[in-house]
Amino acid sequence: MIDGLFIISLGIFVLGIFLPLAGAWQDRRIFRAGSHLCTIAGSVLLGAISLFLLLTGNDVTWTAYQPVAGLSLSFTIDRLSAFFLLLISVVSACVALYAAEYNEHLEGGLRRNLLSACTNLFILSMVLVVASANTFSFLVFWELMAGCSFLLVMYDYSRAATRKAGLFYFVMTQLSTLFVLLGIVLLFSQTGSFAMAPTGVSPVSAIAFVALLIGFSIKAGIIPFHKWLPYAHPASPTPISALMSGVMLKIAVYGLLRFLLDVFSPDLWWGILILVMGTATAVLGIIYALKEYDIKAMLAYSSIENTGIIFMGIGLYVIFSSYHLPDLALISLLSALFHALNHALFKSLLFLTAGSVVHATHTRDIERMGGLIHRMPTTAGLFFVGALAIAALPPLNGFASEVLLFISFFSSIAVADPLFKVLLFLCLGLFALTSALSAACFVKAFGSVFLALPRSPESGRSEEVPFLMLLGPALLASACVLLGLFAAQIFHLTGFAVPMPDLFLVGLLLLAMLVLTFAALFFTASRDVRVTGTWGCGTLSQQPAMEYSGHGFSEPIDIIFSTVYRTKMKNERTFFDQKNCIFAEGRAGIQLIKVFEEYLYLPVARASYAAAETVSRFQSGCLDTYLLYVFCAVIAVIVFLGWLA
Amino acid sequence: MNLAFGLYLVLNTAAVLLIAPLFVSIIKKVKAWAQGRSGPSVFQTYLTLAKLLKKETVYSSHSSWVMRLTPYVSIAAVLVAALFVPLVFVPEPVGGIGNIILLLYLLALARFFMALAGLDAGSSFGGMGSSREMSISAIIEPTTIIVFAALVFVFKSLNVFDMFAASAAAGAPATPTLILLGISLFIILVVETSRIPVDNPETHLELTMIHEGMILEQSGKNLALMELSAAVKLTLLMALLINLIVPFGLTTTLAIGTIAVATVLFVLKATVLAGIIGLFESSMAKMRFFRLPSLFAMAFFFSTLIIIIEVFA
Repeated sequence: MIDGLFIISLGIFVLGIFLPLAGAWQDRRIFRAGSHLCTIAGSVLLGAISLFLLLTGNDVTWTAYQPVAGLSLSFTIDRLSAFFLLLISVVSACVALYAAEYNEHLEGGLRRNLLSACTNLFILSMVLVVASANTFSFLVFWELMAGCSFLLVMYDYSRAATRKAGLFYFVMTQLSTLFVLLGIVLLFSQTGSFAMAPTGVSPVSAIAFVALLIGFSIKAGIIPFHKWLPYAHPASPTPISALMSGVMLKIAVYGLLRFLLDVFSPDLWWGILILVMGTATAVLGIIYALKEYDIKAMLAYSSIENTGIIFMGIGLYVIFSSYHLPDLALISLLSALFHALNHALFKSLLFLTAGSVVHATHTRDIERMGGLIHRMPTTAGLFFVGALAIAALPPLNGFASEVLLFISFFSSIAVADPLFKVLLFLCLGLFALTSALSAACFVKAFGSVFLALPRSPESGRSEEVPFLMLLGPALLASACVLLGLFAAQIFHLTGFAVPMPDLFLVGLLLLAMLVLTFAALFFTASRDVRVTGTWGCGTLSQQPAMEYSGHGFSEPIDIIFSTVYRTKMKNERTFFDQKNCIFAEGRAGIQLIKVFEEYLYLPVARASYAAAETVSRFQSGCLDTYLLYVFCAVIAVIVFLGWLA
Repeated sequence: MNLAFGLYLVLNTAAVLLIAPLFVSIIKKVKAWAQGRSGPSVFQTYLTLAKLLKKETVYSSHSSWVMRLTPYVSIAAVLVAALFVPLVFVPEPVGGIGNIILLLYLLALARFFMALAGLDAGSSFGGMGSSREMSISAIIEPTTIIVFAALVFVFKSLNVFDMFAASAAAGAPATPTLILLGISLFIILVVETSRIPVDNPETHLELTMIHEGMILEQSGKNLALMELSAAVKLTLLMALLINLIVPFGLTTTLAIGTIAVATVLFVLKATVLAGIIGLFESSMAKMRFFRLPSLFAMAFFFSTLIIIIEVFA
């Protein structure tokens, strides 16, 4: 019965793909609305199914297509898949609500029909990746997901920046597929089947693991493979950014977890590798996010940070498993999974509300925003909830998952190896730094975007967005609040015993204190209120230029972490006299270095370019030469076969 | 939730609210003595708060609900955090109240709102305060968490209540590790409550102001709430230090006699600690802002060292 429902939900998504295509010659809203309605209906059904499977622990299997024995497109939904399906469906439904209104305001006429269709295909491919029962179908749908997301990033292809971002993304995502393919082929050579079944411990499986880890890291945006995120997210339409950041990154996390749990028997050093990668990513990601002034690029870097945190959880899981500490391993794994869900919720919330802001102000530069809390109060409130959640403040969901990670770090007391404890404590320190910096980052974001005076005329003229663009984020925001308040109860209900503080109680206490303080002051204190200008040391009128800007806000952190940013300051002066008193001319400048691009990506790109140049000499375009190549090749094959025989 | 815990919730909150302003005044008094002045009375902070409550509240015309909500959230978060650090009576923990990570993040919640309120009016003083406060709180965070991890390590519990109970059962004298941790906790206390050498709570000069800059636009009853929440935060951090290092008198039984003795002892110990803070502040000048990271790095290495010693011991 459940598998029937699962197929029906897939069918609804397929309908959502073909509906706008059928109306492709008509630029009418009804087709796109129908397509989004399909997304919502399919997601709701899928969400219900996965919730049922998650609570009951049943499995669903379905073989769609089997050309030869041992090679099939077949699907299984177990508890892990069901969890990720739930994540996909919740975010997709809310994003579709938002997109139904947002896409109508996009330029591009008929291309918007394609956008709706392709979004459905993208969601469907993600669903099928997660549901895949074997590595073959995993790979097929992984590549479908990569292709769709590339097309979606390229939506606004007439702009040069978008084309650059799209190509960058395409290269990175194909590289990711290549590594995943390598890993899967190595596994196949080991076991002779595409099944997701345990392999033994061997050097080949270790190489396969490293290949898969790199493949998934590229997709998840782990530093140093992260560079596509801050390019692709600002370039793509907002619902796509939200889906890519909220959901697609989690598919990579799912892939890593699936292979770690079902296929490999992890070694200790695998865990250390994942933990160190995760820690570095988390710290560097948030440090780079603080420097960004493009709001979507900032959110992209913050996604990198959060993926790092998820990887830390997975790393701790592997470490504790190999030390035979199942309870701690479970807490770490749950923290990674819960953080994946929470990040999906609050990051898509933040992307959607940021998209509304960009829609209203026509700029992505936070230095040109400001004062929007008065003009877009609901959007501001929703963004605020997202900011509280991502800054890991109680009693919201971001805190709920980070506290689990803290608890598993604090419990590393149980690990016997002393040197190892020291490593864990260092990672803990960096994790705390990450968490505090992300609070600073979102104070800066909310403060620059919504508070004080508008810093540009567009910002002063902005208006609140339509209802549907508020409804989608509002659902996500309420999910953030509920998952935070009832986190302990949810774990209890799903049968996991975790030492989690009861955030509902804390929420109640906070509310009680608020109400009591308010009541006490209402009856004892003066109720006189006067509204007047901000105190400005005697200046007559306050100008936006007097405010603290976003750059100014993060300046102390820029200076403290200047070695990380590798900022170069140049100050060249020439003088007329020998004692350097009379100034002739000079130049000063601050050069921001994109460290990873300049020291990693460009050298690799140049090397592969040079290699291609060398090879291209063989391509003379002359038929005789090509005949010679063919002749040589045939001779070589004959000699080789003869030698083999 | 049992009766003892309910009683604890009410009494602890009332006690904190009652005595918190006293310690702020004592520090001021000690600093005044150190400078050769007679200083304000030790009850001055109570009078100031009472005066502020009677004044009208002035809002900037550019400010929003963030400004109006912040004082209430700030005091609520700090008061809930104060429940996590029992002053004189340690009940059985209920529902994760007392979790040391939650304690830290409740303080972060108050700080988050305060920093946003600093930006709300569009004044550059407020912005400067928020920016510096968030930067300082970010770079002190690794030290704080390492010290807390060391506490968890020593007491084998995540809960402050359990730590206090264990510490009270062991009684004074504290172990050498705890004394070392106490030094780290003292540095955290100085940083978190915006005191010299990190910040100067006395002045409103733009060169020194961090915390004061952030709350510059607050007035009337809102300012009173902000001042009170700063005082409560000071008291709870002092209580954390006192009840871990010199726990004598701290009780786990609900009896009027022992609690009365414990209260008197706590006020005495806290007065001494406030005096030490005042002398510490008087003995040095405020540091330049960008010299602070090296101070914090020192605190971080110091506390990591303690952990390493503890781990290998």
